[in-house]
Amino acid sequence: MIGWSGRRKTLTILLFIAPTLLGIAVFSLYPLILNIFISLTDRGKFHPNPDCTHAVWKIVEPTCWLGRPPQGLASPFTFRDPVWKNYSELLGGLFTKESLLALLFIFIALLPILAAWQVNRRLDRQITRPISSGVVWLIGLVGTLLLGWLINVPDQYQVLLDSGDFIMVNARTILYVLICMPLLFVIGLAMALILNNRFLRGLTFFRVALIVPWAASTVAIMMTLVWQFFFREQGTINQLLRAIAGFMGPAYLTKTGWAWFVVVLVQVWYTYPFFMVTLLGGLQGIPLELYEAAEVDGASWWKQLLNITLPLLRPVALPVIVLSSLTTYKIDSIIWALTQGGPTAGAGKPGATEFVMVHAYKQIFQTQAFGRMGAFAVILFIALFGATLYSLRITRITKGAYE
Amino acid sequence: MNRPPSPGAKIVMYAILAIMCLLALYPIWFAILASGRAGDRLYTFNLAGMFIPTEWTWQNYRALLFDTAFLSWIKNSLIVATATSIASVFLGTTGAFAFSRFKFRGREAGLILFLAIQAFPGILALVPIAQILSALGLYRRLEGLVMAYMAGQLVFATWMLKGFFDTIPIDLEEAGMIDGCGPIQSFVHIALPLARPALAITALFGFMAGWGEFFLANILIPAPDARKTVMVGMYQIAGTINIPWGQFAAGAVMVIIPILVVFLWLQRYLEAGLTVGGVKG
Repeated sequence: MIGWSGRRKTLTILLFIAPTLLGIAVFSLYPLILNIFISLTDRGKFHPNPDCTHAVWKIVEPTCWLGRPPQGLASPFTFRDPVWKNYSELLGGLFTKESLLALLFIFIALLPILAAWQVNRRLDRQITRPISSGVVWLIGLVGTLLLGWLINVPDQYQVLLDSGDFIMVNARTILYVLICMPLLFVIGLAMALILNNRFLRGLTFFRVALIVPWAASTVAIMMTLVWQFFFREQGTINQLLRAIAGFMGPAYLTKTGWAWFVVVLVQVWYTYPFFMVTLLGGLQGIPLELYEAAEVDGASWWKQLLNITLPLLRPVALPVIVLSSLTTYKIDSIIWALTQGGPTAGAGKPGATEFVMVHAYKQIFQTQAFGRMGAFAVILFIALFGATLYSLRITRITKGAYE
Repeated sequence: MNRPPSPGAKIVMYAILAIMCLLALYPIWFAILASGRAGDRLYTFNLAGMFIPTEWTWQNYRALLFDTAFLSWIKNSLIVATATSIASVFLGTTGAFAFSRFKFRGREAGLILFLAIQAFPGILALVPIAQILSALGLYRRLEGLVMAYMAGQLVFATWMLKGFFDTIPIDLEEAGMIDGCGPIQSFVHIALPLARPALAITALFGFMAGWGEFFLANILIPAPDARKTVMVGMYQIAGTINIPWGQFAAGAVMVIIPILVVFLWLQRYLEAGLTVGGVKG
């Protein structure tokens, strides 16, 4: 910009930034920092109050610097010994021999599919491909399934689940994301392909109607309660079954397998429009000439999909999948309204659909172990921040590579 | 992909579209039907009644509006959501402008800080926020809830507005500078008027986030009944032993339909924003 520099420039920039930064510091940054301190203590139901004579709490704890230190019978909370004890309690189970071995085995089972991905990337750089990418993927998939069967992946997964609640909940959530993403991608892509067909009429109507679940996700807790009613023992599905087929289904949300099915179904219902809309945008950016040329060469519809559409859709699809994985990982209201994390296997154990956020919420509510939950938050925060940075990198790389 | 599909393929595609539409719309249609049905059940033994309105009564709406605290829940939600959205846009705009237009030391660090805060999900901030609010005496008060929502919403609004300012060409402001505009004048007279739609959309986002939020509201305002937000209140109705399902459906219709209308009306803008918001979640 012209004509201003030095102190005047600094002042102007400060003037602009100050309100925003001040707000962020007060509303967002301070809670975050306070949380880090809380995560090092045994704060909780039995030690709720700070020791205001301690130098640290005099500065960070609002009850102390507001000048009315809380009066309570309970002894004040103290730093844990060692200070990272909350963290080691949460993550401890992961660093045993069994858990690490289980992780290693699961990774080994995934090797064929990773190898297929790498081989495909290599082959993509060559002018003529000796084998088509679909065959490579198929070989990788079969290899993974075979290895998974040999190593007995479900058993290894169970070992992982048994190594502590925190790890159990995270492993389950990751499995849930891995189940949802392919479904979302396939359904979203199929709908986008149909909506992108120039020879169909009335697509505007369908396009708007199909977005409705996405719109409803802004009030997810209410909409999901309606969904929950469908799957109750006396709910809509069972009423329909009785009226048509003459028998009643189970109480879906109290059976582990069914509960997972419902939880996946509802999440897919809410999220496929996001995939559909963004992939449709990507499809519309693919030049028609490519397809015309392929037609001249006699390529089938399937070949065109594999060799033109999917590779060119990658810069759009990848960020969508990464972003959606993150939001699915953080799924909360939908699960809470459907199952509240249940069905539970026993008291004190996380329920079958108790994913990370629901687990955190329940723990804060029930055990009120604020110190441990603070550590929970910090660990997840680091993981999510890393994933967010990575997703941005992917978005930028894919954009840079194709523009 | 360039050939006209065969008649068979056309039929299959329309069938898929029709089925998906049915799936997308039926839950909402179901809630509308149930809200007009007398009695305490959502379902009906009359099979046709599950798909077309066979009976209609306003009694559920009347009961919900006048026998429960529904109207004060709505009022509370409106207050909280409006306050959050206005405050976040108000505080975020200048910073977003600075981050979009000026080069200064710490800019990159600031942007990464925004991302880091966005990565921190609201539920996990519950512990420190609850401590702060009870220390300030704002626990169980709407002001406290607004403060809690600001934790996520202010950063989100700043990030989104920065994106919008980035898309406004800088040429106009440069022309203004040549004519003697300072940065403040060019912000007030050139950038702000151009960004008006973006401000409105960002405010709408803040509003929708506050309107639909459940977990923080549920913990930070556990009582009294008249001070709850509408999501918490309705969740509570759905959790009672003898659930008045008709009233619940009536409430669901009144809460969901306005949001749907706004969303579909402004979908083009909201889609862009939600892609940005995907980082948050």
